[in-house]
Amino acid sequence: MKRQLLAILMMSAAMAVPAQADITGVAEDAPIPADTGIKLAPGFRATVFADGIGAARHMAVSDNGWVYVALMKPEEGFGAVALYDSDGDGKADERVPFARGMSGTGMGINDGHLYFAEDERIMRWPLPEGGAPEGEAEMIVEGFPNKRQHSAKPFTFDSDGHLYVNIGAPSNACMEKMRTKGSPGMDPCPILEEFGGVWRFDADKAGQTQVDGMRYATGIRNAMAIDWNPHAGALYIAQHGRDQLNSFFPDMYTEQQSAELPAEEFHRVEEGADIGWPYGYVDPDIEGRVLMPEYGGDGKATTDRGQEPLIAFPGHWAPNDLLFPRSEVLPAEMRTGAFIAFHGSWNRAPKPQAGYRVVFVPMDEAGAVSGDWVTFADGFAGEGPIMSPRNAKHRPTGLAEGADGAIYISSLMSGGRVWKVVYEGQ
Amino acid sequence: MKANKFAAALVAASLTGAAYAQDEEADGGTGQALYEANCAACHQYDGGGVPMMQPELILSEKANGDIGGVIDMILLGSAAVPAGTSGYSNEMPPFDYLSDEDIALIASYVRTHFENSGGAVTADDVRARRASHAGQ
Ligand code: HEC
Repeated sequence: MKRQLLAILMMSAAMAVPAQADITGVAEDAPIPADTGIKLAPGFRATVFADGIGAARHMAVSDNGWVYVALMKPEEGFGAVALYDSDGDGKADERVPFARGMSGTGMGINDGHLYFAEDERIMRWPLPEGGAPEGEAEMIVEGFPNKRQHSAKPFTFDSDGHLYVNIGAPSNACMEKMRTKGSPGMDPCPILEEFGGVWRFDADKAGQTQVDGMRYATGIRNAMAIDWNPHAGALYIAQHGRDQLNSFFPDMYTEQQSAELPAEEFHRVEEGADIGWPYGYVDPDIEGRVLMPEYGGDGKATTDRGQEPLIAFPGHWAPNDLLFPRSEVLPAEMRTGAFIAFHGSWNRAPKPQAGYRVVFVPMDEAGAVSGDWVTFADGFAGEGPIMSPRNAKHRPTGLAEGADGAIYISSLMSGGRVWKVVYEGQ
Repeated sequence: MKANKFAAALVAASLTGAAYAQDEEADGGTGQALYEANCAACHQYDGGGVPMMQPELILSEKANGDIGGVIDMILLGSAAVPAGTSGYSNEMPPFDYLSDEDIALIASYVRTHFENSGGAVTADDVRARRASHAGQ
């Protein structure tokens, strides 16, 4: 029965018939190629770009083809690494560590600078011609409080010089007592004043702190997946939904419901938006947002606080990065869509864990979803079912696009790996 | 909103029965049942933890060392770990509201499973640890 559950979820992803866009996902029954460990949508080919680089997170690629990777744990004392494939075989042969004594998740390039985010601060260097950045980093935003839970600071830029930073809520459901059975949710949730949203800063100004920023959107538990959609000119995020419905409300949620709920939400985020955490969550079978049980919900009653997502993805898949491709290399029907890397669940136990994949969402130029999402890359975790997350061989954690249209995918498991995925045509 | 409604509905319909059965089986008041209700969401049913997030309890130092190691983790949660020394991104909540008996059952389960051999602890051990923290 457990196998059936996974099979159904996977099949519905792979067989989804797009409404307008003609995009085929990964063939569900395809074997996992031994050389790369991942299987891809038809027309794409992968190489293992780099192996054993450490706990790889988000990435950025310069126009010269240097790939900059943030590391969640220092690797031999460095918190980031620059990679380069000088002979064009799809495998990096140069590897230059940087960010000594640091570690972090966010990495990005904007206006001739390389930006890197530790959990407490965001810094930048002039983007080098090649290799690692040199000299002292310039601090752009400093002094984020680090409360451990959801403390990573992924970021993105718009085209007007703004830096958008996810400041995750150090909380599961804004309970009075952290993750404690029977503890009610606080209303209003005081955490939202400093956390649980996206703050906007000046991308070009040194020495800012959080108060210099503007709270652009709120009610976001944690959005590791955040990117500016250059076609629609709008911010998009995918949120990590809350955990442990069954642990705290065993009479209301079975283990199976707790594994499936809540949905992971994909949103377009306008200035001033309130997504709805912690007051509600999304159940794909219920119209509107379901009132959080910590706030008096019974699993059915809804709340009008918050906005509806564009897509409700299966529960606990953990969206860890979002990428709107910008090159003209992908097939036409993919150029305005979005890639989302799901690093895979831990909160589905005792049911099999799930997610470990990269999906593609077809979207039109205005930023509306134009068809059903498909699985773009799969097999990261190895042959399933994965009952315990430690058994997942790889978990996709970051996405980036090269100027040549190649898609890079990172994983922090098994020593850390980056794949390069290129489109070769049908 | 787009969602895999078809999949979600099917799954809910076909699996709730099994989940209930399992709940009942586990609700035996044993250390394992208490572990599964309170701890397994984070540390997993196999004690394997979640890389970078929650430590594995397999061959855990605390579960093989002093009597107080696991008891203190249950009573205090992450407050038992010196500030700034944790390598994990999640935090463990305190479970001080559980009874001394239940905490002893859970600690004993952890210390005698997942390849640990720290041995069982008693409710008196838990009482003593609780008293020592109250004095701080
Ligand atoms: C919300 C997730 C969560 C829950 C629930 C949880 N833990 Fe933990 N546990 C953690 C985290 C995170 C750590 C690491 C603590 C730290 O470094 O702050 C930890 C650490 C531990 C350790 C120390 C491991 C080591 O080797 O150092 C033990 C033992 C432990 N937990 C036992 C338990 C038991 C028993 C329960 C149930 C009563 C439990 N935990 C419930 C998250 C959790």
